[in-house]
Amino acid sequence: MTSAAISVRHLTKDFRVGLRGLKLRAVDDLTLEVPRGQVYGLLGPNGCGKSTTLKIILGLVTATAGEISILGQTYATAEARRRTGFLPEAPYFHKFLSGRELVRYCARLSGVAPTQLDQAVEEALTLTAMTEAAGRPIGTYSKGMLQRIGLAQAIVHDPELVILDEPTAGVDPVGSVAIGRMIQEMRSRGKTIVLCSHLLGQVEQVCDRVAIMDRGKLVLEGRVEEVLSRRDRHVITVESLTPAARAAAEAALAAHGAKVTSVTHPRRSLEDLFQELVKGSRDA
Amino acid sequence: MKAFMQRTTWITWVTFLEAIRQRFFAFLIVLGGAMVLSSVAFRFMDFGHGELKFVADFGFGGMFLFGSVLGVVMTAQLFFSEIDNRTALTLLAKPVSRAEFLLGKFFGTWLVLAIFVFVLSGLLGAVLWSRSIELNELAEKMGRLAPEFSPGGLVAFALLQWLRLGVVIAIVLTIASGARTFLYAVVVGALAVVAGQLQWIAQDVLLKPEGSVWYRGVLWVTSRLLPNLEQFNIGDALVLDPTSVPANAVVQVAISGLIYMVAFLMLGTALFRRREI
Repeated sequence: MTSAAISVRHLTKDFRVGLRGLKLRAVDDLTLEVPRGQVYGLLGPNGCGKSTTLKIILGLVTATAGEISILGQTYATAEARRRTGFLPEAPYFHKFLSGRELVRYCARLSGVAPTQLDQAVEEALTLTAMTEAAGRPIGTYSKGMLQRIGLAQAIVHDPELVILDEPTAGVDPVGSVAIGRMIQEMRSRGKTIVLCSHLLGQVEQVCDRVAIMDRGKLVLEGRVEEVLSRRDRHVITVESLTPAARAAAEAALAAHGAKVTSVTHPRRSLEDLFQELVKGSRDA
Repeated sequence: MKAFMQRTTWITWVTFLEAIRQRFFAFLIVLGGAMVLSSVAFRFMDFGHGELKFVADFGFGGMFLFGSVLGVVMTAQLFFSEIDNRTALTLLAKPVSRAEFLLGKFFGTWLVLAIFVFVLSGLLGAVLWSRSIELNELAEKMGRLAPEFSPGGLVAFALLQWLRLGVVIAIVLTIASGARTFLYAVVVGALAVVAGQLQWIAQDVLLKPEGSVWYRGVLWVTSRLLPNLEQFNIGDALVLDPTSVPANAVVQVAISGLIYMVAFLMLGTALFRRREI
């Protein structure tokens, strides 16, 4: 038994395509471990094997080769799936159910006891800010609401592990930030979260570790600070830098063998600017 | 086991809610009902048979035809809507087994077809009952033998038709479990129903010691693999002449139907377990 929430070793998945059964390798000798209690980002371009990896972990697709372990179980047993929540990419739910009915349905399927059902459903709806719209049919929901109700059905049974496949796809920046906050809230409750996303800025903000996949292979894995920091470069932020002060500083650094490679103005991200402006207008 | 039953019941309930909302179901139940009711208007075309027999045959025909279409198309549609819309992905990532999922689909669809069969049987019963009263009065006046109508026989027939549709649903679910597309499941499912309807021919031929071993082997496999759906059509005998039906015939047909239903559901589950979602 491993202490990691998910352990994947030498995982390979081939799909047979066409009448001649040509082999398409979706995942190629993938090995990674998701530590418990952390937010783990799984990144990569479309078709790089992220979703297939998640499906194999959840037992929805069988692996061609390799081993997986999920919450200490050697495959996705019913017990492991009971302790796991999953939000698929572009979720679609029965339109005729209301949000509350859907979350209730999923809670029952996930084994929530009838005595705890009402409380569990309301808690999940509150955490995902869906309480007000919970009585409406799902067919009337916006994309952002669909993602949030999808998140509610994934966490209603209080799982230890939450797997989110593109939770912010099609959601506006304000909604994405709200989902980011929900992920951080879940981490603060001790959950392990696996996050697949194309929003790299958000991944950088909420993830503890990231793995980057390309063409089915793992190309990089590690703590976010480690993989993003450039150890051979340093940034010094200075106020009121005059040309004379700059020349003096460059000369002083050169005397110690250091070289100034660029001098720029610090930038804030577009996302930060957008959030500041939109939040400001909504507060007004 | 309790959890298995509970999860299956929940999936059944949601499948039922989804199916009952479909316009296709409403359309066919209205069409079937109209056919049953219109049988009175067409009774002059009774081709020399008794009027009640004509009305009964007309109603049974509507129930059989529209019930089969509903059984094949709705089952395939409900199955593939879960796969294509990826709601199955959400459900099967929960502690829901493939067997629970498939049984939920089965019972949800079967429940809808129960409404279809019993509504149409109720309508048919009302038509037969009203006509039998009029014909009895007429027969009394003319000193002829009054035609017989058995409400109990109609109930037995309705139950057998429901069971037949259960077998059809199980066959279509088995095909859908291994099929890639909705169209394939509908076409092959419809062909299987037609083959089941003609299965008695294979049984008849098999009784005669003619043909090659290979030919007889194919017939033997065909006659075992496919249920004899024709055996469920003992409606007019049950409803209009119940004494002509041996007491154990209904039980035997029901047992045979149940065996095929369970066998196909087990095969469907085995196929669905191997399916990648």
